[in-house]
Amino acid sequence: MDVLAGLAQGFAVALDPINLLYCFIGVFIGTLVGVLPGIGPISAMSLLLPVTLSGTPESGIIMMAGIYYGSMYGGSTTAVLVNIPGEAASVVTCLDGHEMAKRGRAGPALGIAALGSFVAGTFAIIALMLVAPILAKVAVAFGPPEYFSLMVLGLTILSFLTQGSMAKALLMAAVGVVIGLIGLDQINAMPRLTFDRLELVDGIGLVPVVMGLFGVAEILSNIEQQIRRDIVQSRIGSLWPSRDDLKASAGPIGRGTILGFLLGVLPGGGAVISSFASYAIEKKLSRTPERFGKGAIEGVAGPEAANNAAAGGAFIPLMTLGIPPNVIMALLLGAFVIHGLQPGPLMMSQNPGIFWGIIASMYVGNIMLLVLNMPLIGMWVQVLKAPYKILFPLILMFCIVGVFASGNAVFDVFVMIGTGLLGYLMRKFGYEAAPLVLAFVLGPMLENNLRKGLILSEGNFDIFVTRPISLACLVVSVLLLLAPLLPALRKKREKVALDVTE
Amino acid sequence: MVRRAEFWGGLFWLAFGVFITWQGWLLELGSLREPGSGFVFFWLGLLISVLAISITLNGVRGKGPLLGELWQGARWRNVLLVILALIVFGFMFERLGFVMCSLALLLFLMTFVDPVKPVLSIPISIVAAVGVWYVLEKVLLVQLPKGSWLEGLPLVG
Repeated sequence: MDVLAGLAQGFAVALDPINLLYCFIGVFIGTLVGVLPGIGPISAMSLLLPVTLSGTPESGIIMMAGIYYGSMYGGSTTAVLVNIPGEAASVVTCLDGHEMAKRGRAGPALGIAALGSFVAGTFAIIALMLVAPILAKVAVAFGPPEYFSLMVLGLTILSFLTQGSMAKALLMAAVGVVIGLIGLDQINAMPRLTFDRLELVDGIGLVPVVMGLFGVAEILSNIEQQIRRDIVQSRIGSLWPSRDDLKASAGPIGRGTILGFLLGVLPGGGAVISSFASYAIEKKLSRTPERFGKGAIEGVAGPEAANNAAAGGAFIPLMTLGIPPNVIMALLLGAFVIHGLQPGPLMMSQNPGIFWGIIASMYVGNIMLLVLNMPLIGMWVQVLKAPYKILFPLILMFCIVGVFASGNAVFDVFVMIGTGLLGYLMRKFGYEAAPLVLAFVLGPMLENNLRKGLILSEGNFDIFVTRPISLACLVVSVLLLLAPLLPALRKKREKVALDVTE
Repeated sequence: MVRRAEFWGGLFWLAFGVFITWQGWLLELGSLREPGSGFVFFWLGLLISVLAISITLNGVRGKGPLLGELWQGARWRNVLLVILALIVFGFMFERLGFVMCSLALLLFLMTFVDPVKPVLSIPISIVAAVGVWYVLEKVLLVQLPKGSWLEGLPLVG
């Protein structure tokens, strides 16, 4: 009953005309950045983070959430039509989606992607609505040891799933924590690594770091090579899949939805891994696995459902524990903090309007996306035809504007340039940025909870291993850290390790 | 060995790790009962150093690509030009103001990095710079630098 009452309150917030407008702007921009290769939801959300200041907290966060799940929808359009994933979660969609398009079946590929996304998105919202209140009640009992261990687990999972060397991923996570701790010590207000620069006393901003590591670094990597686009020229045709297509896709959508949701909830997991996992499962379950990679509609339906369900599931750790499970949720946490709100177990009781408003707006946003994507696909194709040599200077200008507006300081622009160069070199040398950014956000919370835990236990580390939840998180973390040392497990990790950059 | 990317990447992070460990030490470690401001820095610095040594050793063992291979066939001149343009932009931003700086940046990028015909680059640059300025300043009420060198001019004043 509480859930229904909360949802009613949420719809009252979500259907407020101004919030509807923000939701529309969010899903529209999300779809646009999902469609455009070279700019993803992370860059778009960082860019718009300062804009959220001009409205109410509900409006700003509804818009930011809309960008996230909107980009999941939009990414599939680019994957199907151009064979370039608009964002990382759509990498798998390229495999069969583009093959379908080349065989004159772009319409059904786009249609099933939108339909699967809608079904999965709706399921994820319902599950979020039902699971979040229960988890929030459990999370009230969490103390510093549980929070510390959960964050360690999140960072370990992300490092484990990151492409390439695990040593490099862990190193990035450690560097991220260090950068996140620059500024005043939260416990005794001592300045740390500020080098007598006033701009560093409050720490380094999330927006310039993210824009540098993802926005600028992406541009630098793109402009050093010729981008070739293989846009499908034939007519897209009817978007509605045939009865056979729907029959073939029902199972993959169902499985992808559940799998995506579960992986989305895991700290460090998310949309990218779930889409790959769904593809692997569908290929394994298929009686004709040889069709995969040659235009099998199941290879589009499953992964698209999975990445959208994961996008919804990722809200659970943020809204109930206050822990962002991935970089995008870390940005959303930034939006909450800007408005003086702290997501976590108490949010549902202290700010029910915002909590339920966001959930209700996701229902509305999902319907908007379905309505928006089907008729506007022609327009997105036109957007895709814009040459990168015109797009990248504009994206760069938007990055600068977004960074400057976030703190009104030229210093932040220099931070963005510095982290942009660092991000570009990191890509060259095989270091992933995702663990760094997540650790950057979690760093202060991680340190705070570690120090509080030690103070509570009078310097005894037992406090982290005598509490069951904390112990379970640490055991899983240790197992994941040891896994690459075993040859068989190392091979498995390399198989699932993914590029989770954006 | 010295031509391996892993070797140089590892050395860079090793230097960073040692620096952080030293800074942590200077900031005070405190005790386990009451960890000080440098406690986490110190241990993270050590962790970074250990991981960096393992990466450097990979380079020493001849693992990973050669440094030169990372930029093989890459149009690295474009990267240098963009970074240079951004740095100049950063220094001139408050002096020339948002509109002039953005206009110059867009024209520079569309002329020298990946050339676009002037018939396209000039109108796109003007519309983008003035349009963004208008939306931010007039609609969203975000303050952008007006340009200390250009004070009094009609567009920026």
